[in-house]
Amino acid sequence: MDTILIRFERVSKDYLADGEPVHALRELSLDVAPGQFVALMGRSGCGKSTLLNMAGAMDLPSSGRVLLDGQDTLHLDDAGLTKLRREKVGFVFQSFQLLANLTVAENVELPLLLAGGASARERAREALGWVELDGYEARLPHQLSGGQMQRVAIARAVVHAPKLLLADEPIGNLDTATGDLILKLLRRIVTERGTTILMATHSPESVVVCDQIVRLRDGRIEAVETRDAR
Amino acid sequence: MLRLFARLILRPLKSEPARALLTAFAVALGVAVVLAIDLAGEAAAGSFRSSVETLTGDADLEITAVGGIPEAVYGQLATLPVALRLKVRLEDYATLSGGGPDKGAVVPLIGIDVVADALELGITSEAGPVPDKDSVWVSEGLGLKAGDSIALQIQDQPGTYRVGGVFKQKGKIIVADIGLAQRLVRRPGRLDRILVWVPPARTVDEWQQQLQQQMPAGVTVALQGARTQENRRMLEAFRWNLRVLSYIALVVGAFLIYNTISVSVVRRRSEIGILRALGATRGAILAAFLGEAAVFGVVGGAVGLLLGRVMAEGAVQLLGATVESLYVSSRPAAIEINAVSALLAFTIGISISVLSAWSPAREAAGVPPTEAMARGRSDYLARVHQRRDLLLAVVLAVLAFVASQQPPVAGKPFGGYAAALLLIGAGAMAIPAMVDGINRLSSRLLLRLGGVEAMLASRSLSASLRRTSVLVGALATAIAMMVSVGIMVGSFRQTVLIWMDNQLKADIYLRPAGTASADRFPTFDAALPDRIAALPEVRAVDRFRAYPISYNGLPATLAGGETQVVELGGGAQFMSGDRASIMRRLPTCRCVIISEPFANKHHLTTGDSVTLPFGRFEIIGVYYDYANERGYIIMDRRTLLKYLPDPAPSNLAVWVKPGVDLDQAKLAVERAAQGSNVAVFANRSLRVEAIKIFDRTFAITYALEAVAIIVAVMGIAGALLALVIDRKRELGLLRFLGATTGQVRKLILCEAGLLGLLANVAGFLLGLALSLILVFVINKQSFGWTIQFHWPVAVLTGALSLVYVATLLAGLYPAHIATRLNPIEVVHEE
Ligand SMILES: Nc1ncnc2c1ncn2[C@@H]1O[C@H](COP(=O)(O)OP(=O)(O)O)[C@@H](O)[C@H]1O
Ligand SMILES: [Mg+2]
Repeated sequence: MDTILIRFERVSKDYLADGEPVHALRELSLDVAPGQFVALMGRSGCGKSTLLNMAGAMDLPSSGRVLLDGQDTLHLDDAGLTKLRREKVGFVFQSFQLLANLTVAENVELPLLLAGGASARERAREALGWVELDGYEARLPHQLSGGQMQRVAIARAVVHAPKLLLADEPIGNLDTATGDLILKLLRRIVTERGTTILMATHSPESVVVCDQIVRLRDGRIEAVETRDAR
Repeated sequence: MLRLFARLILRPLKSEPARALLTAFAVALGVAVVLAIDLAGEAAAGSFRSSVETLTGDADLEITAVGGIPEAVYGQLATLPVALRLKVRLEDYATLSGGGPDKGAVVPLIGIDVVADALELGITSEAGPVPDKDSVWVSEGLGLKAGDSIALQIQDQPGTYRVGGVFKQKGKIIVADIGLAQRLVRRPGRLDRILVWVPPARTVDEWQQQLQQQMPAGVTVALQGARTQENRRMLEAFRWNLRVLSYIALVVGAFLIYNTISVSVVRRRSEIGILRALGATRGAILAAFLGEAAVFGVVGGAVGLLLGRVMAEGAVQLLGATVESLYVSSRPAAIEINAVSALLAFTIGISISVLSAWSPAREAAGVPPTEAMARGRSDYLARVHQRRDLLLAVVLAVLAFVASQQPPVAGKPFGGYAAALLLIGAGAMAIPAMVDGINRLSSRLLLRLGGVEAMLASRSLSASLRRTSVLVGALATAIAMMVSVGIMVGSFRQTVLIWMDNQLKADIYLRPAGTASADRFPTFDAALPDRIAALPEVRAVDRFRAYPISYNGLPATLAGGETQVVELGGGAQFMSGDRASIMRRLPTCRCVIISEPFANKHHLTTGDSVTLPFGRFEIIGVYYDYANERGYIIMDRRTLLKYLPDPAPSNLAVWVKPGVDLDQAKLAVERAAQGSNVAVFANRSLRVEAIKIFDRTFAITYALEAVAIIVAVMGIAGALLALVIDRKRELGLLRFLGATTGQVRKLILCEAGLLGLLANVAGFLLGLALSLILVFVINKQSFGWTIQFHWPVAVLTGALSLVYVATLLAGLYPAHIATRLNPIEVVHEE
């Protein structure tokens, strides 16, 4: 088994905005070991989301390479990238991104259904148990509070037991108390399930639950702080 | 106001040109079809002005008689002590039988008094102002010059004639001296028309009455143009029904305008809120969205005008053929597009657009300024009151039933039309409940059958229930039309097939060669049937003779047949009464049988009597007939000969002796007919030809159906495109959750497939109901014939599958757009 789950090798990402090149990431290198809870911090626009999308094989580097569980994302076609995502990655977003027409349980089982997996409903129920939302299966998203919605989203992100969970400002839309609960839940996922989490965040409270803090500035790593979270 | 319009309407339109174009084109197609049918109908009906009128100009009165006017009547008129101006005419047809592009064309052959009329008609001839009496004169349109020869078939006789001269006249007409013409058409001593110009001492009506009193029985004095009017009146029901069918594409277009404007309103809710907060009035918002619809109307009207002109060319060919075989000889006039048609196009385009946009525009005007704060909403508000709508659907359906039971008004089935419209309304009201019900029921089932994509598709369709319902409604309406017309035509066809089985019992049929028409009855040499009857292979011959007549202001056909011969093999089926006893009475009594269309048109039934120019006849039976819509009065040949002594038959039916080979008998008959130009049909091939004519008659309805379907499918494509754009965040999210591009494509195609399925189900049910109205109300009241209900299973299955495939194809482009979305951009979060 690799000791590195995700590796960025001199990764640059350039965009064109109004004809002007924007350098979202500049020759960034980073290794993340399995079972780590990593926070990405930095000003808005410093490249956190870009890095997460790259890690989740949703986006490809302009130069350099990204290895996800040993696989170079540049060497995969669309089907290969999707397969990688299906097996190894879960996403959590700032604004929850639940499908409004689907019930809680249907939202959670969606990744399994898309991947053609079996006993989806059962595993969805299990995941919902994990985020302590047993009995909410038949609700529709608009009947839930913000914190509950984000927990459903987390259940959906881990339902297929991915090695990597990518969370982009998961508590940005929540009040502090609710945000703390979500952070604790994420920590529990790392500790009890061994899932690796890469989380972009602004909040200083996050620091408490993370193993490692990567500070970004203008597409580069400014500093990496490791701390004991226990 | 203009800036409001630019901001709220024009800018968004420009950003989605594909969808805007689809909508405008849908309106254009709807307008084009209505216009095309109107123009083509006018052109096909516009040519009834008889060739005599075209040739001579308007007289005051015209004198006619069934079977021709005895020449003595002319003498009598000429010696009256009043200054009447008279002209005599013989009218018949000749078939061009030489080579060239016109071969087979039927042209009017007019007999005139050359000495009296040649100068006036501008006939020039090589021999000087008075042409010789053994030549024919041709109109410029035939492209001949004096001294040429022309091959013509007149009645059943081929011959070659010298062109004595050419005269200035649009179209193709042949003129001969009346003496020659009488000989050629075998009506010696008879005139077809005497044109009368009266002195102004009295009114034309008074003259008409006075002259009529002096005429012998059987001779009619009428205002000139009466026949043209009669023909137009006869065609009215036919044109009405076509017109109504052509409106269906427009109704489908209306659904789509409604959908397009609704999408606009929903998307721009917050913008409307902002504008309202900034002081825009409700009226201004309403006007802006109605303005958007009007833009579609204007563009659709303009394109529709051009497209309609082109479509009319094709339609007039089809219509012309139908008119010929069902009603009357017609020479399609030129299609004329004028200020009136342009006005019509724009009026239709704009009014249908603005009317359909009314409800969503009202909704826009009702958006309160507080919505400025609301997040942009991409779904329709669930403002669908299912239960109320369902109740309304039931009420409409009941009203439809009541309307369908109403008698015709002035011969037109307005009750039937109203019933059809009400049923479509009922369908539109019931569809949301149906869509919702089906989607709710089958979520798990869909998952099993079509996978997660089908489940997601069904969810998203029921989430935007109103939009989905409108789309299903549009496509269902088009499908319903297809199904109902399909069932009607299929039933009609089957009815005709069964009728032919009963009616066509003879082995061989003959008529003079040439294109048949419902009001042309060229005759045989009277000796021919006797020659055929004498053949050793032949058991019996039925000599049938028909005359075009006018009955109570409507064209009809009077005919005589040999009842005893016909009785050999059965034949006519009667609506009531015992066939055998009716047929036994017919040869001896002063009585007739009439066809069902004739009975319905003139409200006659068994026991009533018909009044012919030469007397009253009791009706002893009404028989089923589908040959044409003019309607028949039939008497025994002996009775007919008593009043119209011309023995030349116009059709022959030949029964072959038992055991004789049919092909051999046919050959023998053909040999006996040598020297005449006759068409000989074996029983089978006559039926094949009849069905060919039947199918040609309904070709235009298929074309109309196709356009309605195309409009609906275009609407589906446009609406799916809108749906993709409105749900791009969701589609992008699916990619994050592990969906392949293929799955996204399948999702959109599933939506198309579900829409198609729902529309097929709804359209089929609605179409079935509509077909009952078409078969039993509209057709019966318009044309007067009873049609037995039959299922055209193969046709329906084929048509529905085709529509289904078309719907799926309509999903391809939106699906392609969906796969091209960049998930990172569309899930972009602030
Ligand atoms: N699709 C894109 N097109 C152009 N510029 C982009 C795009 N995505 C991100 N950027 C730019 O790249 C930089 C990094 O963006 P992002 O990774 O979203 O930052 P963060 O998540 O840290 O706020 C920003 O300057 C942003 O404007
Ligand atoms: Mg970001």
